[in-house]
Amino acid sequence: MRISTNQMQQQGVNSMLEQQALLAKTQLQVSTGKRILTPADDPAAAAQVLSLTQEKEVTAQYQSNAGVANARLSMEDQTLSGVSDLLQRVRGLAVQGNNATLSNENRASIAQEVRQRLDELLGLANVKDANNEYLFSGYQGGTQPFSQNAAGGFTYSGDEGQRYLQIGPMRQVAVGDSGTEVFRAIRNGNGAFTTQENPLNTGSGVIDPGTATSGFVPDTYTLAFIQALPTAPITYTVTGAVSGVVASGTYTSDSTIAFNGVQTKVTGTPANGDSFTVTPSANQDIFTTLQNFANALETPVSGAASRAHLNNAINRTLVDLDQGLGNILDIRAKIGARINAIDAQKGVNDGFELQIKTTLSSLQDLNYTEAVSRLNLQLTGLQAAQQSFIKIQGLSLFNFIR
Amino acid sequence: MPVGDSLAIGVSGLLTAQRALSTVSQNITNVNTEGYSRQRVDVVTSTPQFSGDGYVGTGVAVGGVRRLYDDFLTTQVQTNTASFRQTENFYTLTSRIDNLLADPKAGLTPSLQSFFNAVQGVANDPSSGAARQVLLSESGTLVDRFHYMDQRLGELRNGANTELQNRVTEINGLAQSLASVNRDISVAPGRVSGNLPNDLLDKRDTLIAQLSERVAVTTVPQDDGSLNVFIGNGQALVAGFRAQSLSVMSNQFDATRLEVGYQMGTDTINISNQLSGGKLGGVLDFRNRVLDVAQNTLGRVAIGLADNFNDQHKLGQDLKGALGGDFFKAPNLQVQARSLNTGTSAVTASLVDANGLTTSDYRLTYTGSNNYTLTRLSDNQTSAINTGGSYPYSSASIDGFSLNITAGAAVNDSFLIQPTRQGAQTIGMVINDAKSIAAGAPIRTSAALTNTSAATISPGVANTQDPNLRNTVSITFTSPGLFNVVDATNGTLATNVPYVSGQAISYNGWTAKISGAAAAGDVFSVGANTSGVSDNRNALLLGQLQKQQTLGGGTATYQDAYGELVANVGTQAHQADITRNAQDTLRKQSLEARDGVSGVNLDEEAANMVRLQQAYQASAQVITATNTLFQALIFAIRR
Repeated sequence: MRISTNQMQQQGVNSMLEQQALLAKTQLQVSTGKRILTPADDPAAAAQVLSLTQEKEVTAQYQSNAGVANARLSMEDQTLSGVSDLLQRVRGLAVQGNNATLSNENRASIAQEVRQRLDELLGLANVKDANNEYLFSGYQGGTQPFSQNAAGGFTYSGDEGQRYLQIGPMRQVAVGDSGTEVFRAIRNGNGAFTTQENPLNTGSGVIDPGTATSGFVPDTYTLAFIQALPTAPITYTVTGAVSGVVASGTYTSDSTIAFNGVQTKVTGTPANGDSFTVTPSANQDIFTTLQNFANALETPVSGAASRAHLNNAINRTLVDLDQGLGNILDIRAKIGARINAIDAQKGVNDGFELQIKTTLSSLQDLNYTEAVSRLNLQLTGLQAAQQSFIKIQGLSLFNFIR
Repeated sequence: MPVGDSLAIGVSGLLTAQRALSTVSQNITNVNTEGYSRQRVDVVTSTPQFSGDGYVGTGVAVGGVRRLYDDFLTTQVQTNTASFRQTENFYTLTSRIDNLLADPKAGLTPSLQSFFNAVQGVANDPSSGAARQVLLSESGTLVDRFHYMDQRLGELRNGANTELQNRVTEINGLAQSLASVNRDISVAPGRVSGNLPNDLLDKRDTLIAQLSERVAVTTVPQDDGSLNVFIGNGQALVAGFRAQSLSVMSNQFDATRLEVGYQMGTDTINISNQLSGGKLGGVLDFRNRVLDVAQNTLGRVAIGLADNFNDQHKLGQDLKGALGGDFFKAPNLQVQARSLNTGTSAVTASLVDANGLTTSDYRLTYTGSNNYTLTRLSDNQTSAINTGGSYPYSSASIDGFSLNITAGAAVNDSFLIQPTRQGAQTIGMVINDAKSIAAGAPIRTSAALTNTSAATISPGVANTQDPNLRNTVSITFTSPGLFNVVDATNGTLATNVPYVSGQAISYNGWTAKISGAAAAGDVFSVGANTSGVSDNRNALLLGQLQKQQTLGGGTATYQDAYGELVANVGTQAHQADITRNAQDTLRKQSLEARDGVSGVNLDEEAANMVRLQQAYQASAQVITATNTLFQALIFAIRR
């Protein structure tokens, strides 16, 4: 085959250029550590790398959200732990206040501590987080949730909003509870009904908070005592506002009175015309419970009737406090469950992130062993091309014409 | 035998060898000349003389100087060059977008990600001014990134215009030169007797080769030795001695888009679509197949993001308690009327649903009698629109947009609709106050504390910006299975609605769900989310847009739609690279084949030189010998 001089030269130059281009690409791959330098190198993988990178970043954001969620829930849990301790202390005070040996002055000083605890509790309920938002005011982080009104009652200015954070592609977790949930939506009494003495009672009858059995029929029941003559036996009648008369009998102290799913008992000696009511439980905020307790303690005791009033009030306080404590416990259990869920989701996210990173690496990262050996091969190739070019270009018949 | 004959034969040998040697010299000195074909002297025996002894030779003569040339191989070089230059230019231009997209810091992905991270930041801490400020500045960055990328594509579009102008100028220059070389060749003396003007022919081939670098041509030789050159679908560029010049004209729909014009009688017609090959073919191909689609794809992401984000943002409530407004400035949907339209009708396009948008352009043509035809240019699928004669007419949604047509169209008036072309260019920011970011929901729900059942109400979502959205509405159960709905402003909305646990309850533009067993007397209320500064419900919904497939008929997230652009450009560049290499190999092979015939080989010329030197010396020896004979004869006579 006939080859022109130019062609020989051009072929030599072309092969060097080709080798150099390959070498430059390998060199760039080695220096960046990336297999794909532009999308054209592997279009499908390049698009996949972009979407995987997004997945990775989104997952990192979920992890950071999970951190925020954890911090908020830990803060709430810490606050509620304080509330729990406080209520335990007040419960201790209630038990102490029931002691018959205490004087009015002793009770007044207990009442003072209860009022201090109440202030402390308000402080905890109005706590702010690191971002200066109230923790228990629902969506209204800028509004103080609890305050005492002129009438001495407690006003809630927040709402029932609950904030969620996104911690996984399909997973949101609540990172708070509203003030209503924590402090206000607490059933008084034993949760089903509450027992209350008539403030006008003159006897020493003290009613037990009672227990509800399965057949409890919600109604307002009045337990009325009648003693026609001081020597006559004391009888009682239970009348429901809707149900009518549901039970009656002769009264014996400390014996069970049961009707319509209510089980309770009265101790002491009720006077003729004394009465008690059994009403379905309603929500009562924990502040009112403390306030009622302090009020009861501050009422001086001057006889069997007023002692019975005190005992009744403290008995109610104890069950109301237990309801409050139970509610705080429930919420703390929920917080614990959420923190567990966050941890579990973090684990899932970590696993996913690792998997993405592995896939990303296999898609875009360079296999150095292969690349370096390729680099060496290409270097050798270029050198060979250069040397052969010089040798071949040196050949010319004109060299031999003398 | 007369002595003089030998002398004459010797001299003819000397002269022929001289001529041949000068041709060898010509070959040697032109070894590096582009387009030079090596030449050979055809040596022929002189006409013999008849004598009594028979025919006696009279020496040697030059039959002609011929260039070694293969018509087929030369044409192949031209064709392959045109194809190679087209793919090469296509590849070079596509690589520029490819490189723009390759840089992980310059693409859309990181800005999009930072933007949505900032949305999550607001969701994590909705009342924080800092988090809101971050979202504002990240949205600014995202908008800037759209603008930047669109600008880079716009620069390539301007570059395409410039290149088109340059190539047309070059082609016109080459056509002029070809016409004048045609004239030179046809009038060259000796051509008729078969002595071709080799160097002029080489020059013409070189001009054709240069033309092929710019655009694919076909050539037809004429009897007078001239060569006619055609481009496109047979438009004559050079006919004999006359060159027809191409012009640069504006596209009928888009004055900023330049096209190649060709004079036909008094009309100049657009022949861009008919041209292929060469750098011009490459740039036209790039503009149609890569640039337009890339800009549309990017625009669609911008339109989709702005539309979805605005829609959701408007269902929220900002830090000041107002309903959310537009977050992004919604991009334009571009419609351009053909410059030749004779009617007065105007057409505008508006977005209906970003999810339905394609990356194609559309053409709307009036066919008369209130009938319009809308053609999707990517696949030429048509849909008919009948306005029914009432104007201004608003069409139903077609591929996510609707058209508004005013009266006055003339038959054959047409409009180019590019719904997504300006998306990335015209997206902007509306919101400029961090407090106006609507992170909360406009409503909130609550269950009355006096409720005796444990039924709960969901937080509720806003569906539309209903004027009564934020009215206080109470849902009161008259029995465990029935409830009444009363709006504090507008009165009773519904009575005795049957209650199904967990079923959606929608009034005034919101939806909430009550679950669990309800009791008579239970009251739930829905109302304005007054001072709900810590509410992040809308921010969560905004954040979820990132992972929702809201584009391409519910098949693609924003990232997917952008990834489509990257994959598309990457594939085009990848394929162009492969084709370019293949075309380069073909071109080199055809060059080698041609050079195998026409190229100069110095060793061969050296050998020829030695041979001719020897022939020359031998002929000189013949003269010397003849001289010796002659001397001997004179010597004999003198004695």
